[in-house]
Amino acid sequence: MGDSLIKGRGLSPGKASSEVVVCNQLISPLGEISREGFVTTGPCENTSITGKILAFKGGRGSTVGSYTFLELKSKNIAPTGLINESAEQMVVTGAIISEIPMVDSVPLDIFSKGDKISIDGSSGEVSIFGVQEKKVATVYLVHGGKLLLLKRSEDATSFPGLYSGVSGYVENRETPKLTGERELLEECGIREASLRLIGGEIYVRSNDILYEITPMLMETKTREVKLNFENSGYTWIPLEKIKDYKTPPKFVETFESLVSQAHL
Amino acid sequence: MKRLQLTREEEEIFDGKQGEALSMAIRLLYSLGELGGADKLISIKSAHISGVSYKNVGEGGIQFLKKMFHKVSVPTSLNPLGFDIENGGPVTIDENFHKKQMEIVELYQKMGVMDSFTCTPYYYYNEPSFGDHISWAESSAIIYVNSLIGARTNRESGPSALASAIIGKTPNHGLHKDEGRKATVVVNVSEPLDYTKFAALGLYLGPKLNKSIPLVKGQEKAKGIELKAFSAALSATSSIPMFHVDRVTRESGLLADSPETIDVGKEEIEETIEKNSTKEEPELIAIGCPHLSSEELDYIAHLLNGKKKVGPDLFLFTSREVKANSSEAVRIIENFGGKVFSDTCMVVSPLSNKYNSTGTNSGKATFYLPLKGYGNQKVAFMGIMDLLKWVIA
Repeated sequence: MGDSLIKGRGLSPGKASSEVVVCNQLISPLGEISREGFVTTGPCENTSITGKILAFKGGRGSTVGSYTFLELKSKNIAPTGLINESAEQMVVTGAIISEIPMVDSVPLDIFSKGDKISIDGSSGEVSIFGVQEKKVATVYLVHGGKLLLLKRSEDATSFPGLYSGVSGYVENRETPKLTGERELLEECGIREASLRLIGGEIYVRSNDILYEITPMLMETKTREVKLNFENSGYTWIPLEKIKDYKTPPKFVETFESLVSQAHL
Repeated sequence: MKRLQLTREEEEIFDGKQGEALSMAIRLLYSLGELGGADKLISIKSAHISGVSYKNVGEGGIQFLKKMFHKVSVPTSLNPLGFDIENGGPVTIDENFHKKQMEIVELYQKMGVMDSFTCTPYYYYNEPSFGDHISWAESSAIIYVNSLIGARTNRESGPSALASAIIGKTPNHGLHKDEGRKATVVVNVSEPLDYTKFAALGLYLGPKLNKSIPLVKGQEKAKGIELKAFSAALSATSSIPMFHVDRVTRESGLLADSPETIDVGKEEIEETIEKNSTKEEPELIAIGCPHLSSEELDYIAHLLNGKKKVGPDLFLFTSREVKANSSEAVRIIENFGGKVFSDTCMVVSPLSNKYNSTGTNSGKATFYLPLKGYGNQKVAFMGIMDLLKWVIA
């Protein structure tokens, strides 16, 4: 089984490889990280970051916080790496002057407790050991102001029984757009659809698999759908009703973001 | 992506042709400029440096200052440290702390940094003008000078402000451009606010807004000192570099297209105060985070004049210069039995050497003081009138 690879933004050079500590909170390195290398507040209260890669939402508070990392480094109890969802420059400065590799633009929910990961602070690459990455294309198909939802078969290997878009694995050398068009034909018998927008990749973690999903908005002139075995039903719903259906993680937010970008 | 362009002279500094300290400084600015998408470095009129208290910078910080040791090239003020240099206090410190602290102070002095030792340098030592490009650290001062004065600085850290002070430049991005100064969220506040309620608004909004610049509406009567309290609390709990107040701050017209809206009322403010306050009588009443202005010292002196002191200790914090210019107020406060300290404050001094509980009207101190392994205080967060009730007979 391969390791997954996520592309973030490199902020402080160097490589690190260790267990990740995920703190779903903003942290003021002054005060909210102790001189002994523990997080002192929030969901990660009393968690040691020594020798770990610390992943948190982003920095806040005192502009002296940069020195906390330097102090931990000088006492040999620093984290080996830093990951932020969205970094600000006080933490980045701390990472640079303390020579701790750092990456941002990485969502925290791709990690599970106890994951061993590596980061490359130059390229921005993050990889999770023993977690396989699968590339998926998901088509949000609209027609006459309505969205097509497919009910996934109860035997589906992922997210059985949920309502979803038209999606499938991106096969070798395929572009996500091509995957989308192929799946439209295979799963729905739809030959013609025009692409409105391709969104940025979304990551969804499910046990030992990390799905890298490329979402896209497509429009079709037909209402006719011919299902294959992969789905057990379909429905055209008014766009705003999407929240009423049981869908896979991040499905609704991703759709809302596409809709607002496309000014639909 | 278009990269940051250095001039030939800057490249020479980058390559180390003018020494290690300058090279380190410009490399840090370059990295941060790249991160922010800057096109070039621009000249600054002043710098303000945080990272002075030994409690905050530690041994690692001292080593860093030695490596980056170089004369500053623009007027540069300095944050408070762990004690009052001339008068001692607010708490007894051990010999090692004193020695290390003075080592840090002397390093900065030799770099040519002012002996300002204050988080409100804009009151006297280092007063920027509207539109000035500057490079400031100290979260509460950054947000104050961007918002109330209209000077332009990103949220620099202690090390990056020092790097800018040495080089005399900062990367041109973020708050240095109009686009980076626009409010992206409108906050309607229906409740009339005083100093402490503004501080509570800051504590409430900081974690919610994270990085977004707010435009506060409904507070046309906001005063400078109240917005100082708001500045400090908001920036302690977020990484927000600026705010606008409708009809009060000078750039309040800078608003992004289709901003979000948040409504805040009496309930949110009162809950925030409640949540952050113990009811027990504190051992210490501490006022002056950020440092007091002359106007505030006069007001407090007026409240204490002729009264008899009881109960907890009363400590006020300001800068040397403000203290010197308010000698009459200081005399009244000290006659009452309070103490006025300069160079230091309740957050950066090791208060827990003596005290376990502190009452304050500062939202910023209310964020830092309770933190385990840092402030270690039980905090009573309340308005100045309620605080003074503990100490006036």
